[in-house]
Amino acid sequence: MFRGKGDLFRWTIMVLSALVLLFIVAPLASMALNTGKSEFFSTVADPDVRESVWFTLRISFLSTLFFAAGAIPLAWVMARKQFPGKKIIQGIIDLPVVIPHTAAGIALLGLISREGVIGKAAGAVGLNLINNPVGTALAMAFVSLPFLINSARDGFASVPEKLEKAALSLGAGRSRVFFSISVPLAWRSIISGFVMMFARGMSEFGAVVIVAYHPMTAPVMIYERFSAFGLTYARPLSVLFVLVALVIFVLFRMISVERKVRQIPDANA
Amino acid sequence: MPMLSVSNLSRRFGSFSLKGITFDVAEGEYFVLLGRSGSGKTKLLELLAGLEYPDSGNIYVDGVDKTRERPQDRNVGLVFQDYAVFPHMTTYDNIAFPLRVRHVSEAEIRNKVTAIAARMNIVSILSRRTHNLSGGELQRTALARTLVVSPRLLLLDEPLASIDASLKDDIARLLRSLNRAGQTIIHVTHDFAEAIGMATRVGVIHNGRLIQTGTPSEVFDHPVNRFVARYTGVRNIFRARFKKEGATWIATTEKGLRLILEASEYPDAGMLIIRSRNVKLFTGIGNTDKQNLITGIVVEIVATPSGIDIEILAGERIFASITDGEHLPEDLREGSEVRFSMDPADLVFIKRTGSDDSE
Repeated sequence: MFRGKGDLFRWTIMVLSALVLLFIVAPLASMALNTGKSEFFSTVADPDVRESVWFTLRISFLSTLFFAAGAIPLAWVMARKQFPGKKIIQGIIDLPVVIPHTAAGIALLGLISREGVIGKAAGAVGLNLINNPVGTALAMAFVSLPFLINSARDGFASVPEKLEKAALSLGAGRSRVFFSISVPLAWRSIISGFVMMFARGMSEFGAVVIVAYHPMTAPVMIYERFSAFGLTYARPLSVLFVLVALVIFVLFRMISVERKVRQIPDANA
Repeated sequence: MPMLSVSNLSRRFGSFSLKGITFDVAEGEYFVLLGRSGSGKTKLLELLAGLEYPDSGNIYVDGVDKTRERPQDRNVGLVFQDYAVFPHMTTYDNIAFPLRVRHVSEAEIRNKVTAIAARMNIVSILSRRTHNLSGGELQRTALARTLVVSPRLLLLDEPLASIDASLKDDIARLLRSLNRAGQTIIHVTHDFAEAIGMATRVGVIHNGRLIQTGTPSEVFDHPVNRFVARYTGVRNIFRARFKKEGATWIATTEKGLRLILEASEYPDAGMLIIRSRNVKLFTGIGNTDKQNLITGIVVEIVATPSGIDIEILAGERIFASITDGEHLPEDLREGSEVRFSMDPADLVFIKRTGSDDSE
């Protein structure tokens, strides 16, 4: 059947790749196939479920938008500036990805609980961050910020520095250069990072469940239904939320179809 | 008062540094900075434009110290190598950019952009995105964008390096006409032929130091050291000892070639150069009282666009460039014997050697 070693190699690669893809697709497919139509539609019709899904999307979006204001400038600094301790800063940025998200939730809880620094400050203006949408947003942002920062950083790094220098030499101030040259040219990476952060935030469970069990996000509601009522009851909501996530991704892919990247020769001294 | 005066400018960039750069550029001058890649010429332009600041030294424009001023306060325009035209804007928006940052009204912007585009001959591409423009169009766009705010001083980084050979003449002509119209220009290049063609004055930069400035003929006919000589295309460079025999100065090269020198004063040892076009083949026709008439063996004959280059072994390796129309010995071929002469007036003694002598 095999004509040579090259074919054996190719088949091995194909089989291994297919197994990995199957591993991702199979549980999702089986979950979808095991969910009855009527159960699914009654879940979709459930006002609590709808509210929970909208709440999750809304809070994750707002949280991403709010933190982007600081994350994008930080990404630019990480792409452009050399300074002592830069590696440590990069390590800190990546930290939320590598630590257990329940631990992240505990850490955040310490900060925003009534005894914590932020919690006290919020309490002073009559805001309780525990079991509050703001708490949910903070938990989502904490674990998903690295996706935006790192993607935007790669985007800024791919903008030839010469273009920024040219804008400066043409008389633009630093902020003008940032907003009219750097950001527009890194736009794709920034948007891509934004979507990744949004997606990661909305699917976060570990940190959110510790900081804000209520109002209930969809991942928390899935867990609650599973622990209280079992697999069958948790499945339709899971299918719904996976579908929502898929739709968002497909839409994103459609609007960000990779155009041919313009090549700009890089600076040389 | 010179328009630009650079005084003892120094700056470290990691392991490389610019050291003690001093030169003046007069109003209306076309000053070409000549240097190899890595010599520091682009960094020097960035210091002049205010994109980098020197560790020490000063930059004066019209007598005003601009050393620490921001780029936008210098009235100095810089056109980058590879143009740095903004890829996310049209040609029009690129040219309008420096006007918009100066809060010029859109009506005035339209007038200015149209006028400069007409001058640069790019009106037809104003509405186009810039990512599929040709090298020549990009260069004209970059020039228009820089010139639209009428800078006192125009800095050009390798303006001809990335353009197709067929378009080089166009851009070179455009730059010369800008200069004739009064624009002061500093043009950086690695190509000495380009420098001769454009410059009213030349500066040679090497390893972060400006090692010679002068008119093109001063620099090319009297290079201060071996590096400049080599760089400007001199292939006949000899280390020699000098001795006065009676009234005549004689140079003896390392490989024993004896040459009569023009009357002057010489130290014990130094460098001699002779341009290969000044090495004259002796055809047996005409006067035979030539000084420094030498016999050698033809090693190689190479055709060039303007004639032939001949490498001759006569103790030293000597290169002669013969242009079309000059007489050639009839039996000239590789391996044959040839007689040639070097006029003492064409043998140039190089005064300075030392640390800058490296290549």
